[in-house]
Amino acid sequence: MNLLAVSINHRTAPVELRESLHLSTEEIKSFLKELKGNLFSEGFIISTCNRTEIYGFPINPRTNFKDLQKFLMEMKPVGDIRPDNFQNYFSCGAVNHLFRVSAGIDSLLLGDNQILGQVKESFQISEEFDFAGFLMKRIFDSAIKVGKRAKTETIISDGAITVSYAAVQLIEKIFSSLSRKSALVIGTGETGEIAAKHLRDKGIGTLSLTNRTMEKAEKLASAIHANAIPFSSFRECLHDYDIIISATSAPDLILTYDDVRASMKKRNGAPTIMMDIAIPRDIDPSIRELDSVFYHDIDSLKIIVDQNVKKRQGELPKVQSIIMEELVNLFGWYNSLEVTPTIRALRQVFEDIRLEEVDKIKNKLNPEDVEKLEMVTKRIINKLLHQPTVELKRISENGVNTQESAMKVNVIRSIFGLDHD
Amino acid sequence: MYSSIKTLNILLPLLYSLTFLVYLYDFVKERNKWSNSKRIFLFVTLIFHTFYLMARTIDFNHPPITNVFEIFTVLAFAISCSYFILELLTDIRGTGLFIIVFSLIFQLISSFFIQDLTAVREVLRNRMLGLHVVSALLGYSGITISAVYGLLFWILYKEIKLNRFGLIFERLPSLEKLEQLSYYSVVIGFVLLTIAIIIGAVWLPSAFPNFNYFDPKLVATAFVWILYGVGILSKTVGGWRGKKVIVFSIAGFCLAIFSILLTNFLAKSFHSFY
Repeated sequence: MNLLAVSINHRTAPVELRESLHLSTEEIKSFLKELKGNLFSEGFIISTCNRTEIYGFPINPRTNFKDLQKFLMEMKPVGDIRPDNFQNYFSCGAVNHLFRVSAGIDSLLLGDNQILGQVKESFQISEEFDFAGFLMKRIFDSAIKVGKRAKTETIISDGAITVSYAAVQLIEKIFSSLSRKSALVIGTGETGEIAAKHLRDKGIGTLSLTNRTMEKAEKLASAIHANAIPFSSFRECLHDYDIIISATSAPDLILTYDDVRASMKKRNGAPTIMMDIAIPRDIDPSIRELDSVFYHDIDSLKIIVDQNVKKRQGELPKVQSIIMEELVNLFGWYNSLEVTPTIRALRQVFEDIRLEEVDKIKNKLNPEDVEKLEMVTKRIINKLLHQPTVELKRISENGVNTQESAMKVNVIRSIFGLDHD
Repeated sequence: MYSSIKTLNILLPLLYSLTFLVYLYDFVKERNKWSNSKRIFLFVTLIFHTFYLMARTIDFNHPPITNVFEIFTVLAFAISCSYFILELLTDIRGTGLFIIVFSLIFQLISSFFIQDLTAVREVLRNRMLGLHVVSALLGYSGITISAVYGLLFWILYKEIKLNRFGLIFERLPSLEKLEQLSYYSVVIGFVLLTIAIIIGAVWLPSAFPNFNYFDPKLVATAFVWILYGVGILSKTVGGWRGKKVIVFSIAGFCLAIFSILLTNFLAKSFHSFY
């Protein structure tokens, strides 16, 4: 299989380069237009914020990685790109890489959930352009199967592995539904904004924002359908909130032990989550001693993240064995495609030799003897070819031992000169 | 029939053990093949248990409430059956082993010591007594389940507070869910206990010549009932939530068990039959 692939990803290139090489859907389409008929007979492009990859079957057997790299650099000229920013793959290596990408084990966040959807989308664009033949479609199907199997048969994508998701996981372990809960985000800088948007996306019932600069809080509040409350008075209504996330850049504590204790008295034992994601911290850590107060800072969220990353890493062997199984299946099927033409070519070579030799002697024999000779020679050839034919058919039917079948087909093609015209 | 009773008496602890092990395996191991089929094990166990209780009632001509070990098997059934209904209604599956273990313990003790009494006091064949005992047992299974959920709440609460994010953190439902489950089961338990007390108050004086409203067992039961009543009111009227309510549930359960043990084995009561 002469599948060719180049990849620029988080392991080979810095984020600036990856960002500048990121292709929009429109760009992918225009790239495919250029690739189709010029370099590749079939192909597709995957482009996410962490990787840009081109796969395809070259029209010209001499086409190599350098041509592909050149193509990408010409189409998307960005400065400071070097050959060692590329990873190059061929044949089984290219398919293996694609499978790893689909399964999410080549991602920056191990077991990434989104990559499979992005791979699917890339396939769809290629199909829209009629740039995917039966072989490429089969590779697509196998890649999607690998991705799905990795998600259902292993826990490679389970558990939060970012601090923000860890915070959500923690909140969901305390409250069963966020739709009837209220949250307050203190500080509307970048971190606070992300936290507020995250809560809104998770369907929080009531969301309030507060910031030293009221205008900033109001601006964000109107953008995400929250309400802004003055910074000077938010402590008085602390007890109204089930979740409080603090992310200011204040050098000192914003919420003291006494503030929280006073608020908890009014809450009748209802639990409160206090997430302090500011550095330096905004909330007095000693509040964790208070009943029904769940105080967590970046460090405690990192414990969850580290545990989940470790768990996911433990699943790698399982995912790799799924990839291996699907590689064997794919290449078994692919090799079986070569078996039938090999059998046909082999029989043709023997038939040609037989006819040639019969022709040489034909004129010296009477018709009856010619007929007998035809019969005998055909029988000899059939007997000679019986075992090789049966063996080749067995390989094609089993379609599992890729190396064995490839080797046998290659040996036969080589020793009988089947590849010579 | 008698041989079936004997066989089931041995089989039931084994079935409860098997169900418990399946639930335990599912709790420890994520994404396993038993995840969806484990409730079938519980269902089959409950079917066999139903048959066992019916067979005992028919064969010995009295409901299985005449001695403490018969009561235990009914209690084992009531706990698992209540949990099974709760699991079907809420689809919360990670807590089964903590409940089923109680059924397993009760059934094990029952199977070891149960006797086949055919001659029992006439009062124990009474239908009103049957109703009284069944509602009391269901009530107690309700408060047992509530206490188990309360305990699980307490454990998860501690784990989150102390930043320990292990198996308990991953596999148990949210604290709010556990509080809800604990509350629902305590309300059901309380209602059933109330029914048992009403039946007892109406029927007992006529059935027992030495009836006494200040009997230690009655006083202890009334005390437990009041405690649970106050706990439920504090949540519904007082708006108490979280750990405060859970403390009530666990304390109520401990007191109920303590009072049962005390009045059954130490105090002299007209309300003793064995």
